[in-house]
Amino acid sequence: MKIERELLKEKLAEMKKAGFDYLEKITAVDYSDHLDVIYLLENIEDGKEEIVEVTMPADDAWVPSVMKLFLAADWYEREMSEMFGINIVGRNAERLLLEKWDGKQPPLRKSFQWGMPYEEGAK
Amino acid sequence: MAVTRINIGPVHPSTHGVLRLVADIDGDTVVDVQPHIGFLHRGVEKLVETRMFMQNPPYMEKLDYVSPMSYDEVYVAAVEAAMGVEVKERAQYIRVILLELQRIASHLLWIGTMCNDIGQMFTAFMWGFQDRDMVLNLLEEAAGGRMFYVNMRIGGMVRDLPPDFADHALGLMDYMEKRVKEYERYLERNPVFMERMKGVGVLSYDDAKNLGVTGPVLRASGVNFDARKNKAYYVYQKLHFSTQVQMAGDNLARYKVRMMEIRESIRLVREAIKALPDGDALGMPVKLILPAAKNRISIVSRELPRGECIMYLVADAQKPYRLSIRSPSFINLAALNFLAKGQRTADMFGIMGTLDLVMGCVDK
Repeated sequence: MKIERELLKEKLAEMKKAGFDYLEKITAVDYSDHLDVIYLLENIEDGKEEIVEVTMPADDAWVPSVMKLFLAADWYEREMSEMFGINIVGRNAERLLLEKWDGKQPPLRKSFQWGMPYEEGAK
Repeated sequence: MAVTRINIGPVHPSTHGVLRLVADIDGDTVVDVQPHIGFLHRGVEKLVETRMFMQNPPYMEKLDYVSPMSYDEVYVAAVEAAMGVEVKERAQYIRVILLELQRIASHLLWIGTMCNDIGQMFTAFMWGFQDRDMVLNLLEEAAGGRMFYVNMRIGGMVRDLPPDFADHALGLMDYMEKRVKEYERYLERNPVFMERMKGVGVLSYDDAKNLGVTGPVLRASGVNFDARKNKAYYVYQKLHFSTQVQMAGDNLARYKVRMMEIRESIRLVREAIKALPDGDALGMPVKLILPAAKNRISIVSRELPRGECIMYLVADAQKPYRLSIRSPSFINLAALNFLAKGQRTADMFGIMGTLDLVMGCVDK
């Protein structure tokens, strides 16, 4: 299901109450002109899966943090913000995987330039 | 007493990789522990975007080098889903047999390294490696490799099982059944082992779901979820096995779940070998250019030895546009801080041992 990012927290809280209380993964896809953030939720009792998608322009990438709803979101949000340069609003998402990386070029964006020497990236 | 910050790692022998922990301890009690990961980050998710579909399985295997075939299979299944290809029935059975053997091998290695973590030095380690070696011999017969296999192809396998594989496998399963009992007798009658395991690192039902932990860690907290049952794939719904659930949520429960899973895997291998149908099991030949992918997005979920792995594949015609991997070790390690708080420093390693981390799988 597609949803506006302003409504994301309420929607996920609603779904959590309805039984989708297991967050499997938060991930993102870069489609060059826009970004999709995907939340995979699972209802463990009856094995149903629900996919929540948030679309945003590539140059205005932010999503609200859902860590208060699901503790599992902690590392997924940090990973996503690091790899896609997506701002996580409402929490301090410090770096997780790449130490000494300046973060100016999020590695999983399609605009990432290959073959840049490490020193230039780390400046 | 003042809180002391200590650095552990970046190398620990039983983490199957490189992990650094920064722990705040008060006396001998852990106040806070922050894992620093990324030492094994190889950018696999980015790398696969530059290569054709069937150039990628070797990368997938290097993610989790303790159960490489399982990872290989998830990826190939995601590509199959994208291309809309059905797996041949005989190949489905062969995959189930080999994946369950892989699970046994992975759990045997886990027993050894976990016992090292809690101070049961080397006996269990040697036993585990010895028995795992026998499983690897069997996988070598079937796939040609001991460590990395790359024996999945779109729609089937690279080669069929060798003619005497069934006899060898059934013989090994009889042996393995005896060994599992021996492990339990050796470990569970050991008061030191039991004291380090029982009541340590308790994770409740609600917390387990909230933290998003997966696999044996989730089931040890009483959550009845196994992707092989709940999201049945291949011929798992035709075979008889049960989801192993423990209610206690402590180290001992996680150990018990894995021991019982070895038994269930033995059962599955036996049954699948008996039911193995005749026919063709070979997949598409290895070609760079395959039929174009039909589905733009495919989501595939599999129960790996470490937990549920989900691959979210956005496909171009001939190569992945984006592959997102939900690696089970990653989210299990995220729960370490929660589990270790308030425990003794030495027990932190016991807890880490029962989470069964592979750092290649965490870092990607």
